[in-house]
Amino acid sequence: MILAVVMATASAARVAGRLARISLVVTLPIAISAVLVSVFTRAGAHVVFTIGPFDATAEGIDFAGQTLVRLLAISTSIALFGLTTDPRSFVLDLERRRLSPRFAFVALATLEAVPAMVERATIIAAAQRARGLDSEGSVRARLRGVLPLVGPVVLSSLTEVEERSLALEVRAFGKPGRRELLWRIPDSGPQLAVRAVLLLALVAAVVARLTGTFPQLP
Amino acid sequence: MLELSGVSYRYAGYSREVLHEIDLRLDDGEIVGLVGPNESGKSTLCLVASGLAPASIGGSLRGTVTLDGEPTKDLPTFRLAERVVIGFQNPNTQRSGVAATVFEEIALGPMNLGLPVAETVARTREAIARLKLESIVRRDPQRLSGGQSQLVGIASLLAMRPRHVILDEPTAQLDPAGTRLVGEALRSLAAAGTSLLVAEHKTDLLDGLCTRIVAIDGGRIVRDGPTTDVFDDPALHELGVEPPARVRLARALREGGHDAAVLAGALGTGWS
Repeated sequence: MILAVVMATASAARVAGRLARISLVVTLPIAISAVLVSVFTRAGAHVVFTIGPFDATAEGIDFAGQTLVRLLAISTSIALFGLTTDPRSFVLDLERRRLSPRFAFVALATLEAVPAMVERATIIAAAQRARGLDSEGSVRARLRGVLPLVGPVVLSSLTEVEERSLALEVRAFGKPGRRELLWRIPDSGPQLAVRAVLLLALVAAVVARLTGTFPQLP
Repeated sequence: MLELSGVSYRYAGYSREVLHEIDLRLDDGEIVGLVGPNESGKSTLCLVASGLAPASIGGSLRGTVTLDGEPTKDLPTFRLAERVVIGFQNPNTQRSGVAATVFEEIALGPMNLGLPVAETVARTREAIARLKLESIVRRDPQRLSGGQSQLVGIASLLAMRPRHVILDEPTAQLDPAGTRLVGEALRSLAAAGTSLLVAEHKTDLLDGLCTRIVAIDGGRIVRDGPTTDVFDDPALHELGVEPPARVRLARALREGGHDAAVLAGALGTGWS
């Protein structure tokens, strides 16, 4: 049900294709190991097929299916959030809701860190390629080309973090107390209603799980 | 007034001091230029004068740094920020990374000071107007050119309306028009009573801007005097500091057997 709701929402937001790709890429490595472990090591009465010393049981396949669906539900939900929410607006709204500016900054810096490092790596790679570094061709050649870039990317990022923290201090970032924010993110009636419904659904899900109404993994 | 008395500084983890017995005073409304070769200690002096060294970056300091008579070591960094700001060489690290637009980036400092929104907006608009950034206020600060980033970084500092401003190579990435804009903004700040310390390699900018020049080498002040006197000193060139075009041209004229004073009179400038 969650998967259906997430995919329907993603379609409405026109990000269904990207959502599917990202979720699959993120989920695949965990899913493969989870499926293998579930199918071949879970005890069961009905053996479907055998590979060497391992029996694939119907119960194991059922469990693997449930695990897979849950993993996809988690990854698609998180990916949908990432694809449809501007991190800066999100953090700003959290601050408006009394989150500490320091915490807000850390949260945002974390969200922005990955694209910033990718951008930095691209620049450094281009600079190194201009100086003759071979970073294309076979996987081995690429690995040989990329490995020397790891050091500069990490070190320059660390240096930048230090300088940036100084620059923030100069701009009174450490001053205690609340800041008056410049703008509010529009919050429409339907958005408010959806949030209330989701919150109620969350409470209901927790209650249902605790009371045994929702089925648990066998 | 910003004053350093007998200041020596050693970075954390270093065995040797990089600044030695620095005595420097910036009066209100004064613009002091700081020149010197690479690795001479200009950036360190800027950090120490701003109070960030050793308060934020560690290290050990001998001597005293005072802001309007109050030792900086007694002030937490956010109190320092209310009085003194420092602009770094690299505009990319000056950027907060949390603002979606140039306007918000410039407004961040006043916001952090806890000012009411109307005051924050007024200061931000003033800083934008000073550096003529109106055309880029809606742009993403992470998608600016180096020169634009540098101007935004300086505007972010000006919006805090500090009493003292320290700038470490503020025009390193600026074209001549941008450099002129920064010069004009700094001049108007000084006219309003702000004291400024500007470390720069572009001596032409300092020549038209500063009332005093301090030359530093090996962590020691080797020359401190009126702009014309310091830039006219042939010893400055030996330090690796290129004098302004005015001085170089005058020297070339003299060496060619011409009378530089005649040209100076014709141009009405302080040629020597």
